Amino acid sequence: MPQTLVEEQLDTPAGKVQLFRAGAGAPLVYLHSAGGESSHAALEELADSFEVLVPVFPGYGESEGIEDIDGMEDAVFHLLDLWELLELDAPAVMGLSLGAWMAAELATRYPEKVGKLVLVNPVGLHIDRAPIAEMFGRGAGELAEMLFADQEHPIAAAMHAMDDFTGDVGKQVEIPIEMVLPMWKAMSATAKLGWDPYLHNPKLRGRLRRVTAPTLVVRAAQDGMVPAAHAETYAAEIAGARLEVIEDAAHWLPFEKPAELAELVRDFLG
Amino acid sequence: MRCFAFHLMPYTQLDPSYEGPAWVTCPNELYDPALGHELYNTYLDQLIYAEELGFDGVCVNEHHQNAYGNMPSPNLIASILARQTSRMKIAVVGNALPLYDPPTRVAEEFAMIDVISGGRLIAGMVVGGGPEYYSFSVNPAHARERFQEAHDLIVKAWTEPGPFEWVSKHYRIRYVNPWPRPLQQPHPEIWIPGAGSVETMEFVARNRYAYMGIPYFHIDVFKRYFSMFRDACEAEGYEADPLQYGWLLPIYVAETDEQARREYEEHFWYFVKRLLPGITIQPPGYTSVRSLASILKSAGTFMLNIDTWEEVVNGRYAIVGSPETVADQLIESLRELGTGNLLGLFQLGSLPDHLTRKNMALFAEQVMPKLRAEFPDGERVYRPQAKVA
Repeated sequence: MPQTLVEEQLDTPAGKVQLFRAGAGAPLVYLHSAGGESSHAALEELADSFEVLVPVFPGYGESEGIEDIDGMEDAVFHLLDLWELLELDAPAVMGLSLGAWMAAELATRYPEKVGKLVLVNPVGLHIDRAPIAEMFGRGAGELAEMLFADQEHPIAAAMHAMDDFTGDVGKQVEIPIEMVLPMWKAMSATAKLGWDPYLHNPKLRGRLRRVTAPTLVVRAAQDGMVPAAHAETYAAEIAGARLEVIEDAAHWLPFEKPAELAELVRDFLG
Repeated sequence: MRCFAFHLMPYTQLDPSYEGPAWVTCPNELYDPALGHELYNTYLDQLIYAEELGFDGVCVNEHHQNAYGNMPSPNLIASILARQTSRMKIAVVGNALPLYDPPTRVAEEFAMIDVISGGRLIAGMVVGGGPEYYSFSVNPAHARERFQEAHDLIVKAWTEPGPFEWVSKHYRIRYVNPWPRPLQQPHPEIWIPGAGSVETMEFVARNRYAYMGIPYFHIDVFKRYFSMFRDACEAEGYEADPLQYGWLLPIYVAETDEQARREYEEHFWYFVKRLLPGITIQPPGYTSVRSLASILKSAGTFMLNIDTWEEVVNGRYAIVGSPETVADQLIESLRELGTGNLLGLFQLGSLPDHLTRKNMALFAEQVMPKLRAEFPDGERVYRPQAKVA
């Protein structure tokens, strides 16, 4: 039975952060994407077999503390604090996009803190002639084109409807602040982690050999943001990593193919 | 009343078949250097002409990778003017501090212009427009921090004996000791352009600098911003001096109202429809949540959203007409706004040289005297002074 994740609050050295949790069993930490999602159907399904923990990163949602975070090094220190607070030893760690990059940063620097690693449409690498598409300064509709294979998906449709309210302020008419604020905050926090270098760490690729956790890399076949070479490189550089491709999905794969993703992850984590 | 001629140095012949933004990604194949040669020299002559006509000063500013304003280095233009003029103020409005690393470069170049010009520099410092963060890849989420640190460093470099060591989050310099030092002591007048950010107004008020409203909004937006600025000064325990803030807008004067519109309108719309698109691109983390609310309130009135001449006239997006009309409308608006600096864009978009010069001359001869008579300089409250946080 899928389970709804329940919100808690954690006092971390960075500040108060939100934590969403459900299920029982071996811990599975999910690191969200630049969208700051605190749950999705794949996680609800996985909560049937695991204790799913979703910490909302500082600057996203209502989590505090982005002021003192200026890049992935600071992000990893924040994760170390979270591991301590949650009494986690070497949990399974799953990340989507930005969260997958963050998980890889943790797993290269502190391999012993990651039991198993699941990277879904990861960013974090720079690959010549396979650039990650620009996500900043775009309207919600343009982002939806990158994130969804199916533009009729309810979230994609809602983003297209929001088009008049984001992106180019000069073209806006009446803008309710509640409507733009969550995306505004998420983009601002993402800029602190990935504006320059753009969504990657030039050192990361050479460090992937340090990952010791069994690793599953999942790529969406229609990802409009991150070219296939990125997932393929992760899978090639991490010893023993397995690469899986899910069809009919784009960058926000967990929202389009939650059941398929949950099944892959459940099988992999065992 | 101080009157300044502000120049953007726009590209006048953007390929009509190109439909994209004029900023960041506008292909530079569309730039014709031979035309550029003509434009730079024509524009420099216009700025030099402003001195002959009796303007108090001229303003130049910094933008990168765009067709809207071809002054990636306003300091180069200002240094030419420092030699080719002798009386008027030269306002660089401003250098985008976060783009200079180390920012002591700004302290050095501004001091050079001030020394060469005999103490005529107005030192503008600005966070930089949204597009610059895309063009430079400087992290916009650090824009405010870098601006504050760079400002503190530059003012300290001008006012405290070197060498000293500077250590802040974004800048670490072991020996700060710029030669030359500025001629104006303790340092040149500092202007800060702002587009409605509350933090910027508070910063200007706290330091007793001057606040220049960034243009292209409905006049009601400026009324709100200048009222917020006066409140910020009041919160610091003093009344804002009119010379401490300025209004920037396009102005066109011709022999009659009809002639003015006939000569000007197509060049104005070239500016609005071809050169403005792309200027409003928002970099993430560039604005605080508090300022976002204030800025969103005015977004709908941005000049990109207007389509009719009636809107231009009613919103005072530009003041266009006979000398009488322009003088009347300016006096009325300046009285409402309370500003003691008028920054006019006399060349705009594709406006050709002969019309620009006629505009400047008619303004200087028939409008400026009326403004000066209407708003005589009172006892000057505003005294720019150095204060380092």
